[in-house]
Amino acid sequence: MRVEFVNPFIKSLANTFEVMLHQKVTRGDLELKSNFCPLHPVSGIIGLSGKATGTVVLSLSEIVALKAASTMLMTELSVIDDDVTDAVGELVNMVTGGAKAELEAYNLSISLPGVVTGKNHSVNFPSKVTPICVPFSTDWGPLALEVGLITSSEIPAASSDTTQQPQEVSS
Amino acid sequence: MTKVLLADDSSTMRKIILRSLNAVGYSDVTEAADGEEALQVFGQEQFDLVLTDWNMPKKTGLELIRDIRQSNTTVPIIMITTEAEKTRVLEAVQAGVSDYLVKPFDAETLRAKLEKQGC
Repeated sequence: MRVEFVNPFIKSLANTFEVMLHQKVTRGDLELKSNFCPLHPVSGIIGLSGKATGTVVLSLSEIVALKAASTMLMTELSVIDDDVTDAVGELVNMVTGGAKAELEAYNLSISLPGVVTGKNHSVNFPSKVTPICVPFSTDWGPLALEVGLITSSEIPAASSDTTQQPQEVSS
Repeated sequence: MTKVLLADDSSTMRKIILRSLNAVGYSDVTEAADGEEALQVFGQEQFDLVLTDWNMPKKTGLELIRDIRQSNTTVPIIMITTEAEKTRVLEAVQAGVSDYLVKPFDAETLRAKLEKQGC
């Protein structure tokens, strides 16, 4: 996967956390993913399609998911419920939306966000893509961003499977 | 008191925007879950301001703006969306949007946008 794809997502995540959640994020070292298990138990997932195809995962520790949802909804939340997963869906939507604007040349459409919770769940990325994982830390706890994108010209015939079928809708 | 119509298909996003509005002093807010519902409500009541998402089922925010502008050229309409590409902003301006707020945003930025519209 091209590293140039990752930077817009890193920038957008830092901006989203600062503006929406008033949290500074500190980036760790990029890692190539050797498995499809996100680092943390709460995953906000979005599919991308256009001149590039792939999947973006915002992987949050429980504490970060709870603190983020509490801040966004201006109410104290203590368990991972629908409010929390919906807020995580909105967060990954904002992160991806911001990156999409920087990747305008790829004419990307983004799917509706999905959220998966629980330890050891897996998320599929397009075949032939080794996703890049970027860990972050905040005052609340750890999170990670996982991006697996491939340009249309690099996609082998009939092998662009992803976890979600991107729909041309998002807000 | 400023009467606000808020259209967004995400109930969570409506909740987030509603609480931001409340935090900066706007409490008279009517919610709509899509563009069609928003247009229907807009036809029945008088609003001082419309806040709309872009991507919604039944009728998009862009279509909503065009429909409203056919009969009302003065009500301020602010698009609140993740669609940040220049081409998209231009499309919204051509449809008649008054201002554009890209998510993520904070309550103070929202307040500044509203005040700029005289609300």
